[in-house]
Amino acid sequence: MTTKEVVEILKKGRAYAQRTKYKEAMAYYNKALSLDPKYPESWYLRASVLIDTGKPQEALADCERALALNQNYADAWSKKALALFNLERFEDAVLAATRASTLNGNDAMAWYIKGVCLDELGRSDEAQEAYGKSLELEIILDMDAERRKIRKH
Amino acid sequence: MKTEMPLSKPIRRIIKQTEEMLDTEISLLRQPEADPGGTLVDIYTYEMEKNINVIIFPAQYVGLLKDFIIAKHCTHLLIKGAAHKKGKYLVCSYDEDSVSRGMRQIYIDTLKDEAKKAEKDKLPVNKLIQMLFILYNHFNEDINEIPWNAIVNASVYHRMSKIRKTQLYHIMKESKNDMDEMVEQEKIIPRRYFVLNKAMFYARDMFLAKTLPADELMPVLNIPQMKKFNHLEVKEMLTHRWTHTAWYQSKVFGDTMLEIVDKHLDKVEWNAPPTLDHYYELYRLGVNLTNHLTSYMSMKDWFVWDTPKHLLQAHEMKGVYEKKALKKIFGDLISDSEEGT
Repeated sequence: MTTKEVVEILKKGRAYAQRTKYKEAMAYYNKALSLDPKYPESWYLRASVLIDTGKPQEALADCERALALNQNYADAWSKKALALFNLERFEDAVLAATRASTLNGNDAMAWYIKGVCLDELGRSDEAQEAYGKSLELEIILDMDAERRKIRKH
Repeated sequence: MKTEMPLSKPIRRIIKQTEEMLDTEISLLRQPEADPGGTLVDIYTYEMEKNINVIIFPAQYVGLLKDFIIAKHCTHLLIKGAAHKKGKYLVCSYDEDSVSRGMRQIYIDTLKDEAKKAEKDKLPVNKLIQMLFILYNHFNEDINEIPWNAIVNASVYHRMSKIRKTQLYHIMKESKNDMDEMVEQEKIIPRRYFVLNKAMFYARDMFLAKTLPADELMPVLNIPQMKKFNHLEVKEMLTHRWTHTAWYQSKVFGDTMLEIVDKHLDKVEWNAPPTLDHYYELYRLGVNLTNHLTSYMSMKDWFVWDTPKHLLQAHEMKGVYEKKALKKIFGDLISDSEEGT
């Protein structure tokens, strides 16, 4: 099985996940993992579905597998932060979100999770800073989305 | 509420508070094609199988923008729910007679405008006929939206200090889009309705500019379209022609509408304990404000206060209402092919 084929399978899984058809998405991700367990994106994508279906502990395990294969996988750090937040492990979530935002400074979600967790830990000033960065990035994302919409019409 | 999305503390608090106060459930849904202002599908407006309200927001809203949309719709849900629990939740609906009255008035105003136009600029008859209900419906939507938008935004601003910057961005964006509305049709639609439409948005924005700290919002400076309103009095002195433009007239009407908004909302205790009574009071104020605005715009008999179900049914019947209104206005002069949209 070539990486190209795994990528195709993941693409199908992602299309289902976007439509919240998680069962179908999981089937594709599992297939991809059985074909090539050393492809980090498969672990990351499965972790996303596990979070969306309320299984943060299992999602965390998948994020760890993805990161074991690629320590600099920014999205996997971001997803790990989200899993840790859902498990109410706020200190660990801040660390993971910080790592995610260091690797990818444009990850609005990572900054937001960091803000939420810092707020939970009573570190208000730091939380405001993270929220500020998250909002800045979200606005850029939003303006891009608007521009795309205008072009489409 | 059960969600795997991360939510900041004040948002979790308002969701919990809303659910407990109204004895209902809130579900959050992210959708790629959602309206930028989000959508609230609630049990007080729509007939739902389960006691669950859904707040839908665009997929690209991952953090505070999503939080603001949730706060805004929770506040609106509280107002609707309080009205439902303490009295009766009513909206501005329409029926056969009110559509007929509204369309007739628009027709008369259109004729006045058309009479002033050069022959080459006159609107073709079929377009003119189509425009009558489109405009009527437009005002129904706006009057069901603008007063509540002002109230909800003011409430969110006072209760949720942590998302004020986000709110500011959102208001600016929303305002820009609202100001763009109808601009392309400025030369087609009767001046009176273009002016009233812009004036309503102007009054809402100016009210929010006063409610939110002036140095943050300043719509006449920060929203490109509203710059047209800046220093109008000076321009008025400089050029007589300016006084005849729709933008000048929008400001004149808008300033009066702002006085109306102020009169109703200036004394609200926005930080009062968030009880059902408080939200019911906001509902009552919204109804009074809506009545005052429709009265000011001479549209008092255009709409009827009735249940949301009545409005949904009216939407289903709008083609029929439009046809009957056209028959009343034009009698046998109108042929089937020219009847409405």
